Amino acid sequence: MRHSISRRTLLRGVGVGLGLPWLEAFAASSASRNPVRMAVLYMPNGVNTAAWNPVGSGRDFALSPTLEPLKDFKDQIVVISNLYNAGSRGGDGHYAKEATILTCATIKKTPGADLANGVSMDQVAAQRVADQTPLPSLELGVSPVAIGVDAAVGYTRIYGSHIAWSTPTTPLARELNPRAVYERLFRASSGQQANSAKTDSLLLDRVLGDARRLRSEVGTADRLRLDEYLSVMRSLEERVQRAGSATKNPWKARAPLTKAVPSDRPASHPEHVTLMLDMIATAFQSDTTRVCTFMFGNAVSDVSFRFLEGVDSGHHDTSHHAKNPEKLRQYAIINRWHIEQYAYLLGKLRSMKEGDSTVLDNSMILFGSALSDGDRHDPHKMPLVLAGRGGGRIDAGQHLVCSEDAPCANLYVSMLDAFGAPVERFGDSTGQLPGLLHT
Amino acid sequence: MLILAASSILTAQQPDYSFDSAKAFLTTHCQKCHQAKSPAGGFNVERVTAPASLQDNERKWLSAINRVRNGEMPPKGSPAPDVDSREQFAHWVAATLRSQACSDGITPGPAPIRRLNRDEYTATVQDLLDIHMNIGAALPADGAGGEGFDNAAETLFLSPLHSEKYMEIAKMAMDFAAKEFKSRTKILVAKPGPGVTPDQAAREILKAFLPRAFRRPITDADIAPYMDLFRAALKQRQTFESAIFFSLRSVLVSPLFLFRSEPPNTSSEPRPLDQYALASRLSYFLWGSLPDELLFDIAAAGKLHEPQVLKGLIGRMLRNERSLIFAERFVGQWLRIRELSANKAPDPKLFPTYYTDEELRSDISIQPIWFFRELLLRDLPLTNLLDSKFTIGTGKLTKHYGEKPVGRAANQQPTWIELPADTHRSGGLLGMASVQMVSSYPYRTSPVLRGAWILDSLLGTPPPPPPPNVPSLDEAHARATPTSVRERLTQHRADPVCASCHSRIDPLGFALENFDAYGRWREEEAGKPVDNSAELADGTKFQGPDQLKAYLLERKDLFIRNLTTKMLGYALGRGLTLKDSCAVDDIVAKVKENNYSAQTLIESIVLSVPFRYQAPVSRSPKEEKKP
Repeated sequence: MRHSISRRTLLRGVGVGLGLPWLEAFAASSASRNPVRMAVLYMPNGVNTAAWNPVGSGRDFALSPTLEPLKDFKDQIVVISNLYNAGSRGGDGHYAKEATILTCATIKKTPGADLANGVSMDQVAAQRVADQTPLPSLELGVSPVAIGVDAAVGYTRIYGSHIAWSTPTTPLARELNPRAVYERLFRASSGQQANSAKTDSLLLDRVLGDARRLRSEVGTADRLRLDEYLSVMRSLEERVQRAGSATKNPWKARAPLTKAVPSDRPASHPEHVTLMLDMIATAFQSDTTRVCTFMFGNAVSDVSFRFLEGVDSGHHDTSHHAKNPEKLRQYAIINRWHIEQYAYLLGKLRSMKEGDSTVLDNSMILFGSALSDGDRHDPHKMPLVLAGRGGGRIDAGQHLVCSEDAPCANLYVSMLDAFGAPVERFGDSTGQLPGLLHT
Repeated sequence: MLILAASSILTAQQPDYSFDSAKAFLTTHCQKCHQAKSPAGGFNVERVTAPASLQDNERKWLSAINRVRNGEMPPKGSPAPDVDSREQFAHWVAATLRSQACSDGITPGPAPIRRLNRDEYTATVQDLLDIHMNIGAALPADGAGGEGFDNAAETLFLSPLHSEKYMEIAKMAMDFAAKEFKSRTKILVAKPGPGVTPDQAAREILKAFLPRAFRRPITDADIAPYMDLFRAALKQRQTFESAIFFSLRSVLVSPLFLFRSEPPNTSSEPRPLDQYALASRLSYFLWGSLPDELLFDIAAAGKLHEPQVLKGLIGRMLRNERSLIFAERFVGQWLRIRELSANKAPDPKLFPTYYTDEELRSDISIQPIWFFRELLLRDLPLTNLLDSKFTIGTGKLTKHYGEKPVGRAANQQPTWIELPADTHRSGGLLGMASVQMVSSYPYRTSPVLRGAWILDSLLGTPPPPPPPNVPSLDEAHARATPTSVRERLTQHRADPVCASCHSRIDPLGFALENFDAYGRWREEEAGKPVDNSAELADGTKFQGPDQLKAYLLERKDLFIRNLTTKMLGYALGRGLTLKDSCAVDDIVAKVKENNYSAQTLIESIVLSVPFRYQAPVSRSPKEEKKP
């Protein structure tokens, strides 16, 4: 709650000389205030830039063919142009760029032994509010982690399969099964966790003891692995104990979970994506978590898009269009399909009332790709759209044209501020992103 | 260790390539930035005065040649050396580093602690509890590291998701076991009754269970905390059974179970591995699960290091049906067959039978796995993987390949069959649908993908990625225009930058054009006869799969070296180091001496220094502090 009112608002308040009663008002409003949620939807392989770029800037802009499915949300979105993630320079065409979309770091070229990235901005947010919801964050996807190491470029494909990193060496595994996500949300929010809290705590206490003992017996490098174990088990223990203690656990579901239990075997790629997006909506509506990342595919994903009328190839294959007009057309169709899915989620969140506002009003849903033109693996001018008003902080309804190659880390600094997890710096940030937040 | 395996075949090493040639390369292409007081990246090529200079900075050199091979260095804007000189330079550096590393013999590399991966976890819990339930299915899949396998210690990280799943699965597994007669008999070796207190019974149960779960003998210090847990559960008024199952449940979440760790070698010299640790290495290599009673007994007798004992065990372990797990995991990842169930699944509209015919689907993906295992069991030459007079057939597969069922091939069960004498088109891995499918797009074939697959998966010489800003090849719309894929590729190779690699990649794929994207044989495509002729940059010509296989057989040593590198990486569960490549050399030599025998490969790996020995552990006092 520390950050639920920005410094600027506070200063303004002091400026007009409000006294003690104002403080009470502050306390009351902060308790009832709707929490801000944040999700990132990541699309691999870049965009057909000609079909992506909107015309005009500021409030007076026209959606591009690719962004057209967002027309009902035009006053709720900010299309952001010209940002660049400098950490992704060098390296190969995909992993170095896509793995760092949320970390703004430079990954270490390795088949695995010394995996290194940065902490992703969603995890900065999640770590800040971990004690406020049953789950600190959700990492979701539809394609399993890619097999093998990419021998041609010398990176493990783990890089391309993870955008959320809780530490520079720990990518977060994603849940791919919609039913399992549902069950996880259900367990976390239904009190089931509270019922078994006592025995679970006993058990966790025991295994933590084993881990400490083992840790004292092994060499330095192995300790890092055991620290990882200790860390995830301890955080589970904390969550279990919080769930089991009425005094420590003021959390209540803001809405019951949807009754519709999703399939655990979606019949097609589109159905799989829809079900996962449904889970994000239900997680945010119930406030089971406030932070989520979703990957439409892994970096270099070649998922077949032949299910779309007019497309005859896979995603990555199509992205290497070599300026062939037919391939560019197909590339744009694939991009647009992703935007349609994004619009579907936005529509869902907007239909969820929350007092006088909607869940969408209280969210920041970022859609983006780490590449602009996938054919050239171009990391400049990242295609990004931010939707939702972030609880009123986001100046939505504009095409925000930033200065050329402004750090995309600045966007994350602003988002983290609106989320209530302000940071001085993030990656190569130089400050806030001018024009994004209401002043 | 990609670099060392990738001693290039793209360019054959010129015998007269010397230190002077390498030095000239450095001076011409690198020195401008990498010199003087503040060289770029702290990497000063002026200091390279003799081959021995490379030793000072082994790791940096390995990473440097990788970047040179891939065209990342020299950076954009500098005059770029052509692909041949890059390959030759990289090859020379790799060979020099290796010969230096091997000059003082073979030593063991690191043996990091590692989490059981999803498959190992599942198999281990199944064996431990004697249950048959795919309990690991809920765990997230593991990515790969090292030599490209999901058992690489370095990439088996833990997420919060794992912690929740381990808790749930442990409960589910124990609840299930508590109801199964077989499991109960195995686990509940004592019960309270006249003369036996609950405490005594619980202790007996733990004494039997813990050594198997922890894969080593246990001490009182191991049992005591689990006894405490049992008592705590009793205090919560649980029954004896639910209290002991609760205590056992926590075993399945303990790091002593979830991680494989070996007693550290605190001496200053390499030493033979602890017997039980060796038993685990062996069983996780060949079975993907915990050691059985016999392995434990031999370890307890202290005889596991004896070569004759190990050889006998290997034969026995391969004959056990659990070695199918090894074959599936190794072959599925080495050849990338596993991708058939992910983004290489064939297009459902073009190839509907893959989805309607479950038997065919399973036969397709299991064919190379069975074949590989048969080579091991029959101890046949590994060169059969490149070409063979035999294959594994089933009725469905024979029909799929458009061949007449011969004798036993009409069977539903996978059968070892002899191929017709006039053609080997179905022989070896390249005769299998699964291989032709993973190296195609889901909806059409691609000579480029097939060629690259052969260079990478079979020969261990992956082609470098295309240089940035080179117009990529538009194969896909061949059908929209009058030109064929082949003509487009020819066009593409007219660009010398493209030609430098594609003239080595594409021909390999052309020879396989008779296989469609579903691995079926075809004589015609779109009404025209299939052109399966190919010519490499050096003028070598071949036509069709038989001649391609003959060409690959001439390169069998490269293939064997790649297979050995992959398998040693799999067996050790980590990326190989420069030192390990000395062991690879040694193993390859033994395999060749024994006419490429499949079992020799397994035996030589198991008997190798990296597999059986342990390096001294590094301990830095600074990091003693607990987090």
